[in-house]
Amino acid sequence: MKIAILSGKGGTGKTTLSMNLAYLLKEAVIVDGDVEEPNLGLFLKGEALYSTPVRKAYPTINETQCTLCGDCGDFCAYNALLPAKQGVLIHKELCHDCGGCAVVCKEGAISYDYRDIGIIEKHQILREQNLYSGILTVGEVSGVKVIEALRAAVETCEFVLIDSPPGTSCATVAAVEGVDYAIVVTEPTPFGLSDMKMVVEMLNRMDIAFGVVLNKAGIGDESVQLFCEINKIPILGEIPFSKEYAAVYSRGDLIAEECPDYKIYLDDIMSRLPIGAINRAIGGDCYD
Amino acid sequence: MRIAIPSIGGNRSDKVDSRFGRASYYVIYDVTTDMYSCIDNSAKSEVSGAGGQAVRLLGKNGVDVVLVPEVGPKALQALKAFDMKAFVYENACNVEEAVALYQQGQLKEVLQESHGGYHGNHGSHGLRRV
Amino acid sequence: MINEIVVISGKGGTGKTTLVASMLAYIKGVVVADCDVDAPDLHILLKGIELYHSGFSGLKRPVIKKDTCNDCGLCHRYCKFGAITEAIQLLSNKCEGCGLCAHVCPTDSIEMRDVEIGSIVHRRIERGDFVYGRLIPGEETSGKLVSAVRKKAQTLATQKSVETLLIDGAPGIACNVIASITGAKQVVIVTEPTISGLHDLKRVYELVQRFHVKAHVVVNKSNLSDEGLDAIKQYCMEQGLSIALEIPFNEDIVKTISALELPPNRMPDFYRSIGFEGFMKQLNLL
Repeated sequence: MKIAILSGKGGTGKTTLSMNLAYLLKEAVIVDGDVEEPNLGLFLKGEALYSTPVRKAYPTINETQCTLCGDCGDFCAYNALLPAKQGVLIHKELCHDCGGCAVVCKEGAISYDYRDIGIIEKHQILREQNLYSGILTVGEVSGVKVIEALRAAVETCEFVLIDSPPGTSCATVAAVEGVDYAIVVTEPTPFGLSDMKMVVEMLNRMDIAFGVVLNKAGIGDESVQLFCEINKIPILGEIPFSKEYAAVYSRGDLIAEECPDYKIYLDDIMSRLPIGAINRAIGGDCYD
Repeated sequence: MRIAIPSIGGNRSDKVDSRFGRASYYVIYDVTTDMYSCIDNSAKSEVSGAGGQAVRLLGKNGVDVVLVPEVGPKALQALKAFDMKAFVYENACNVEEAVALYQQGQLKEVLQESHGGYHGNHGSHGLRRV
Repeated sequence: MINEIVVISGKGGTGKTTLVASMLAYIKGVVVADCDVDAPDLHILLKGIELYHSGFSGLKRPVIKKDTCNDCGLCHRYCKFGAITEAIQLLSNKCEGCGLCAHVCPTDSIEMRDVEIGSIVHRRIERGDFVYGRLIPGEETSGKLVSAVRKKAQTLATQKSVETLLIDGAPGIACNVIASITGAKQVVIVTEPTISGLHDLKRVYELVQRFHVKAHVVVNKSNLSDEGLDAIKQYCMEQGLSIALEIPFNEDIVKTISALELPPNRMPDFYRSIGFEGFMKQLNLL
């Protein structure tokens, strides 16, 4: 069973919820899918088990065979190839690895090499749980390939929690693709509502079942609850805004560990998740 | 000689664009015939590589000199690869005024990029040494 | 020429949009753009009159003409993204628009057609002009939409001889952010005094340094943690970065935004007390 935690709007508390759920769900494998700004490893600290580079292809041109016909440049949809006067300029980082330029080249002058765009790390955390983090190299245009490598690494795991990137563009899609259930974390403000609507639209397009957690409850208004009621979206729970929780988070500690009342809110959320399915998937009892 | 000027409209009286690679249009002035023409810039919304594509487009249109407000590293690389020279205009003016300034020798030639882009991961392969 | 200032954060939710909204309260006759296209928020605050609303096409996807298709399956075999099934059906969510299928089709049965991935809107507002983009959630090429929004904003600024272009950027460090900051004059990085805030600040600043732009740091919710604030100050000092402004957490700011107003209009004393005007002067906005 794979559960994604996402938000649309950044800063609503999805990573905070992910790390605290991880603390309580002892059978879960945790994935930090926010490869542009991975934070889970700052809170769920542990011994590094391995680190693997993620590689991406780029075209190289055999100068003696190249006739500078320009076909590759005309074909490439991503501006990775620029046939100029003396040779073809290549912008490696723009290549999407579609393999098209090699097919289009009549002289067979194009082949591919690989470069590192990020890494996947596996750590042992908490009580013998595993955390997989993806880290995109700064300057890279897209983290999608790193996220895909992360998902491949946990494909056969029975119970996975995926902390997703904010927003609704390709990185988020790659992180939540094919999950069984999504928890949408939002805050009770007009911005929170607006971004939540975009995430809901995305999840509906992807045909993924979901529920909403209302974080920092009390700081704004009732529009999120109203929207969920009208659209029959299940609210899994509410976590109140608390300066104490914020302080624990700012230090890099786990709220579920430091604040006993916080666990009650998580119990509430867990009670509304498809927990039966999770337990069947892992053949045991997942929740502490 | 043909000179290209990035522009927000397509006419000689329109203002020059604040970006080179992502200009809305390029107005081309042919010195020999004293005629102005215009081409649309298909690369204006590209996230990256717009400058290079723009240079290629201008190359196909026989341009020798470009007047620019700024130039990124990829655009500069492309300009060199297409043997084009670039000159910088600093103030907002219209296309005709920019051409006049160039012909009066008042514009400085671009020798290095005016702002950063990607450093580290781009490279040029396949450039033939002649 | 144009004083183009982009507000980014690395970490999401540090307060970019609220900061841009607050800055707007001090200036008139500007162009402001929301480039956070997969979670745009400024348009909720800045109503105004809609002058332009257009779909945006970022890529082409194949349209397969079944009547001329001979089922040879070449398109299915050549597609590296698995976007064309064995039954020659397009899975558009997997398609990246490379066009190889159309190239290899022996019967010319595949046509690459523009696909709308989002929209661009231009509104005339009290303080000038406002442009924003909205991605169709889950769609590709959001970076191009960001570039297009910026392009529209820049063109408006040039046409109207406006000197200031203020951009609400995207979180993260990848193409949306890169498209937001390339060629900008100044960048404001909004952070918070937490472990995550510092970690993400370091990564986004590493990206910013490649662009040779002037960078300023704003620490939001600055009173959240003394140790956190010290750590940010330490890092900024090591990097020669200026902390242009510290904004302590104030529940009234959230309430004001929720009431769809610009915070400095409702709470001028607070903004005076934190030296907001001085911050605006530092950015050459006043």
